[in-house]
Amino acid sequence: MLEKIAHIKQEFSSDLAQANDAQALENLRIKYLARKGSIAALFYELKSVSPEEKPALGKALNELRTFAQSAYDDAKLKLEQSSDSTELPFDVTLPGRPVSVGTKHPITQTIEEIVRIFKGMGFTVATGPEVETDYYNFGALNFPPDHPARDMQDTFFIAKDILLRTHTSPVQIRYMEQHKPPVRVVIPGRVYRNEAVSARSHVLFHQVEGLYVDEGVTMGDLKGTLVAFVKQFYGSSVKYKFRPTFFPFTEPSADMYISCFICNGKGCSMCKYAGWLEILGSGMVHPHLYENVGYDTEKYTGFAFGMGVERIAILRHGIDDIRLFTENDLRFLKQF
Amino acid sequence: MRISHQWLKELIDFKLTPEKLADEVSMLGLEIASYEDLSRKYEKFVVGEVLERAKHPNADRLTLCKVNVGKETLDIVCGAPNVDAGQKVAIALVGATIPHNQHDPDGRPFVLERAKIRGVESNGMICSAHELGIGSDADGILVLDGKAKVGTPLAKHLGQTDIVYEIEITANRGDWQSHFGVAREIGALLGKKMRKPAAKLRENKVTAASFAKVKILDTKKCPRYSARVLQNVKVAQSPQWLQDRLTAVGLRPINNVVDVTNYVMYETGQPLHAFDYEKIAGHAIVVRTAKDGEKFVTLDGKERTLRSDILMICDAEKPVGIGGVMGGANSEVSDSTTSILLESAYFDPASVRKTSKYLGLSTDASRRFERSTDIEGTVYALDRVSQLLQEMAGAEVLKGSIDIYPKKQKKTTINLRASRVNQILGTNLTKTQVKSYLERLELVCRAAATDALKVSVPSYRADLLEEIDLVEEVARMYGYNNIETKTRASIQFSTQTVVKSLQDELRSYCVGAGFNEILANSLLDAKTTEIAGEGAVKILNPVSVDMAYLRTSLIPGALHIVRRNQFQGQKQLRLFEIGDVFALANREKPNSFESYSQEERVLLLLAGQHSPVSYGVSTRPFDYLDVKGEVQALLSKFSLDKWSFISYDTHKALSEHNVTIEINGTYAGYFGKVKSSVSEKFEIEGDVYIAELNTAVLHAQRVNSTKYRQLPKFPKVVRDLAFIVDSRLPQEKVEKAIRESGGTMLETLRLFDVYTGQPLGSGQKSLAYALEFQPSDRTLTVKEIDGIITSIVAHVQRTCGATLRASS
Ligand SMILES: [Zn+2]
Repeated sequence: MLEKIAHIKQEFSSDLAQANDAQALENLRIKYLARKGSIAALFYELKSVSPEEKPALGKALNELRTFAQSAYDDAKLKLEQSSDSTELPFDVTLPGRPVSVGTKHPITQTIEEIVRIFKGMGFTVATGPEVETDYYNFGALNFPPDHPARDMQDTFFIAKDILLRTHTSPVQIRYMEQHKPPVRVVIPGRVYRNEAVSARSHVLFHQVEGLYVDEGVTMGDLKGTLVAFVKQFYGSSVKYKFRPTFFPFTEPSADMYISCFICNGKGCSMCKYAGWLEILGSGMVHPHLYENVGYDTEKYTGFAFGMGVERIAILRHGIDDIRLFTENDLRFLKQF
Repeated sequence: MRISHQWLKELIDFKLTPEKLADEVSMLGLEIASYEDLSRKYEKFVVGEVLERAKHPNADRLTLCKVNVGKETLDIVCGAPNVDAGQKVAIALVGATIPHNQHDPDGRPFVLERAKIRGVESNGMICSAHELGIGSDADGILVLDGKAKVGTPLAKHLGQTDIVYEIEITANRGDWQSHFGVAREIGALLGKKMRKPAAKLRENKVTAASFAKVKILDTKKCPRYSARVLQNVKVAQSPQWLQDRLTAVGLRPINNVVDVTNYVMYETGQPLHAFDYEKIAGHAIVVRTAKDGEKFVTLDGKERTLRSDILMICDAEKPVGIGGVMGGANSEVSDSTTSILLESAYFDPASVRKTSKYLGLSTDASRRFERSTDIEGTVYALDRVSQLLQEMAGAEVLKGSIDIYPKKQKKTTINLRASRVNQILGTNLTKTQVKSYLERLELVCRAAATDALKVSVPSYRADLLEEIDLVEEVARMYGYNNIETKTRASIQFSTQTVVKSLQDELRSYCVGAGFNEILANSLLDAKTTEIAGEGAVKILNPVSVDMAYLRTSLIPGALHIVRRNQFQGQKQLRLFEIGDVFALANREKPNSFESYSQEERVLLLLAGQHSPVSYGVSTRPFDYLDVKGEVQALLSKFSLDKWSFISYDTHKALSEHNVTIEINGTYAGYFGKVKSSVSEKFEIEGDVYIAELNTAVLHAQRVNSTKYRQLPKFPKVVRDLAFIVDSRLPQEKVEKAIRESGGTMLETLRLFDVYTGQPLGSGQKSLAYALEFQPSDRTLTVKEIDGIITSIVAHVQRTCGATLRASS
């Protein structure tokens, strides 16, 4: 019996050495280790040996079974590991399947960010037509006829007294005609100017206008609101200043400057080496506008402001050509 | 406009550095954009003395000079015939930038280098007036005054030490277009008063009125015309200081008469014109409007065609100038002129602006008149010119000025309440404080009612007309940056402030669906607009033919963008835009605003490959069902299921296979495939699918509040049915028949296969549907389901001529 055990061990070892694939190994398992395999058969034989021989033989047989089982397990593991690399190796560096991701236009993103900040301060969004009348675009906004102020905004004409709006300010008048104070609106929109197209200027661009009219609104509120805006938009450490300027529809009128965030005020080409960037125009609503919409000029005061969206986006992203916004090259759009 | 530092210094005392001045004056609203130190132009130029002049060994026309430049003596090769020993000359040292290159056709500046000229080294250059940019004499070197000190910087010797400010003027401040105006503003800044030069002159006994007559026929366009007559004027070059002043502010010196009128204009802001008295027929000036189509040659030699609203300055026979814009060639002062008639007038700003615009002629004079000049300043300016011409041209000034001023302008006085100032600015200023700010601006204030001041406005401040204008002046003087910042940004909840914006939601939806947003130009060329259909709105004054029409659809602009991106190699285009389109809806009334329609639309566009080309992706071109699916998804999102497709092909200029979209029976837009003939015109490769919807309809028809439906508690039952029908029958008919007969439990119906070919007969197709039944109150029995299926099959067979192919 011991001989038989030794023989089977030897036979198993040589079979194992030749079992190079999964099938051979499976055959090996069936031949030796299965319920009807040769090792099981030896255990069956063990039942009929004498009690004296049993302990020694049993031990030897158990050793054989343990040996065969672990040798088989090792071989199987080895084979599984090696078969992974020989059949179809799994390459984790293959590219992921691309997903089409949508994008908002950078101008939209800028408008949304500006509008979001003013909404947080209680402003509502209003819009108005792009084809406008001379009255809303100029007359009601206190531009006298044949006044040099009209040169500030070269205009596209459609017909007599019908034009493409040169700013979003006509919506101020339209909104006030429809609403009694308090009025607190932001007005995003597309505007047109008859200028040569170049890297720095375009016939079409976007503005965000704002208007706040109520009893007791002062130039202090104008400053406070716009300072709050620039701190939200450019960060709380931004420096700012207001400078007198002229707009027909506001008085006093003020340009707002912030410290140049590109050069930190040291001077660069974007701020014309001044360290300051002009970012918006503003002012106290001219009483003539109130007269034009039927508001009590003594009772109500308020302020208005307007900013060019392209300019803000250009400064923020360091864009060097305004025409990129209307060209809509996907290589450009997907950067934002 | 350019303003001279030295000139300002004559009018007002200030110690500010140019940088500080620029800063502080800008903060008052008078923007100093930049300033220039003129002496920089003559860096590395010095006064030298020619010690020796010898012949150049290798060139007859050249000389070899030894020049003392103070610290050293330089060998310089010179080509000028007039150079000689003992002369004081202008020397450019090596490294200097010569302002004007005589050998360059455009006279561009160049940097002087050490050079060998015909074998001899030259260590500098002796300059001509032309090369220095201070005169026209290019034939010989500039010989300086014998008293010039050797080694002195040339800028100092030439008096080119001024600093020039470039100022930018707002449309309301005409008075800033002069040194007076800027000096007054500096005065306001520093609390000082400007020194106005006294115009002292000796007049003849003979009166000007006996030598010339002035008559104004249009007193609205010309409310005041003042004139003087000067005799025995010696027309000559202006003295150097005057030429320097004019050069500094960017004017070219011409002769003393013209130069002095320009000088006084830059000083006072009052434009002046000198006529040759002998060329004025009848020695009479008549101010009247032109005749339509009348021709006139202006000083610049150009013939202008006039219009009846243009104001002309005429003599007894003919026009001699366009009022407020430019004088005529026929009465110009020349070297032989001895008597002049000086004009100093006030012209109506709007009229001058109209004329200047119409003629396309903007001059130093018109730019001042159209922003309003000082109507009370005409005579002072005349006197100032006369004084200077008396000093430098020996002019005899006839007694008195001829001053036609039929209706003296009333002095502006404005009531200003301190309470109004505080109401607008949010300040707490007292009446006394308000007064002190206004007085800095030379506004005279008298106390009126308790709270108010009566403010008298100087005539040169034509922009100050009403109370609010003075509030701004107070604010400027108080300092915008001293106004206390307040934040009363409290939200008022009395009205709904946060309104859901369909536009925002649409945009977010499209981005989520993988579309890239574009913003196309809404101005298009005629050809593109024509392709899109009729009724386009035309721009009367387009900037170019490429942008002469407003878009009638979002599609053409997007097609341009498709081409651009295809050209850049983009294979997959999923684009959307939300924007306005325009049309002239009523062509009978193009001058009525109501005739123009403006409508916001959303465009979806698919072109190229459905998926990006990559390993592990099997891609295919976008097709019709893709755009249809996108539209269905969008409509389901925004209008739930109240929309329908009307599938007869409506005629569209740009697209085919069009399907009309209706929401609750209202037209909302359409989708389709861009015609290949259109794609070709745009040079686009492959098919383009588009959908264009009207956002106002989406907005009006959308369901705003969504009602929750309980989730089903009983299992759903799935059955498949396949029918054989005529291959020309739209599947929609079968779908409709199944829905009609499927009962309320038929929840979803999905076409999953369309088959033609064996074993079906020709002209036949098989349509296979998956049906899902969802009971709400019980579990369905097989018998119930079989009953429903049987009635569906019967109905489809009857209404669609179908035969049942399979049921499972
Ligand atoms: Zn900077």
